[in-house]
Amino acid sequence: MSPKLMVDPSKKWSGPTRPYDLVKEIVVAFVAVALLAGGLAFLFSSPDDPAVTLKSWALTNSADFAVTATGELAGTTTSAGYGAPYNTAAKGQHFGFIKLQDWAGVRIPIDPANDFVVKPLLMMNDSAASSAVAEWSSANADQQSTWATAYADALSKAEGKDSVADPSGTFGPVPQMVASLLTMAKSGALDGALITSDTPLPTDFTKSLLFLGDSEGYFADLASKQHLSGDQWGVMNETGSWPGQSWLWLFSFWYQIDPFKSSDNADTIVMLLMGVLTLGLMLLPFIPLLRRIPYAIPVHRLIWRDWYRKQDK
Amino acid sequence: MHHAIINLNHPAHYIGLGPFSISLGNLLIILAMCIVFLAALFIPFPHSDKEGEDQK
Repeated sequence: MSPKLMVDPSKKWSGPTRPYDLVKEIVVAFVAVALLAGGLAFLFSSPDDPAVTLKSWALTNSADFAVTATGELAGTTTSAGYGAPYNTAAKGQHFGFIKLQDWAGVRIPIDPANDFVVKPLLMMNDSAASSAVAEWSSANADQQSTWATAYADALSKAEGKDSVADPSGTFGPVPQMVASLLTMAKSGALDGALITSDTPLPTDFTKSLLFLGDSEGYFADLASKQHLSGDQWGVMNETGSWPGQSWLWLFSFWYQIDPFKSSDNADTIVMLLMGVLTLGLMLLPFIPLLRRIPYAIPVHRLIWRDWYRKQDK
Repeated sequence: MHHAIINLNHPAHYIGLGPFSISLGNLLIILAMCIVFLAALFIPFPHSDKEGEDQK
């Protein structure tokens, strides 16, 4: 750096100055962005995909709904084994001593078998469903698990069917509970039951989204068709032909490569890595070697070329 | 319901290059961001006779 470009911050600026109308710039920028946003909204409107609901799931792929509901009773779904903030079934993601999920604790307690299946069935005015729930509730946990696991196995063998006959009573009340829940879902009542179970207004979609997310058929297929699943840069895509959040490419990038791709703790590791990279960007002026980058790649001299041209004369 | 003049509610067109695959919408937005960045570098600051003049 040439000595004449050195600036002592403790001394008053004695170089050239120019008037600068900040208010004018803010107004011009606001009007330009407002016109651009309004114009693009008028031209393209906004994504208008139909809502994915438990009703659409039950009507479109009843077999997958039955398998998932049985999995909730057996405690084998993602929700059932997720850990915090929903339950204590797992310690959750961690990286070394950093256990963010565990530290946060169970803030939204959810028991998938009870919350997604048993409680909604109790809202049904149906004697068959009520007696099935009564039989389920009076059994111990081991018996419940035996029934549900056996029915889950039977459903997986009867590919594409939403029920399996049980002449010997091996599955207990599970087939009736799943069949009743399927009827409830097809009518749309299950959507209402889950989104109003904790709030008077239908604003909390946590339970219905967790239930949907446990689907390994219907919901996973929808995501895959729209390129929204994790192995397809899903975080930066959008429904339809809309551009997505392309500025999230770096977050999404790490999920595409090992060791992140195959790690059970990918979310925590990627978040920490991005935190470190962001700190690196923020503290760039204090990091040796990296802070020399502007001297090697003087983009600023291109932007302020008039100033540097005068200085170099 | 307002129907858009240009309808984007249909399956996206994806462009593949080796292991990479990007939607046309995302590609256009990224190109637009690059163009805006280059424009910010090369388009000169507006000067008027009165405003732009450096004052000693």
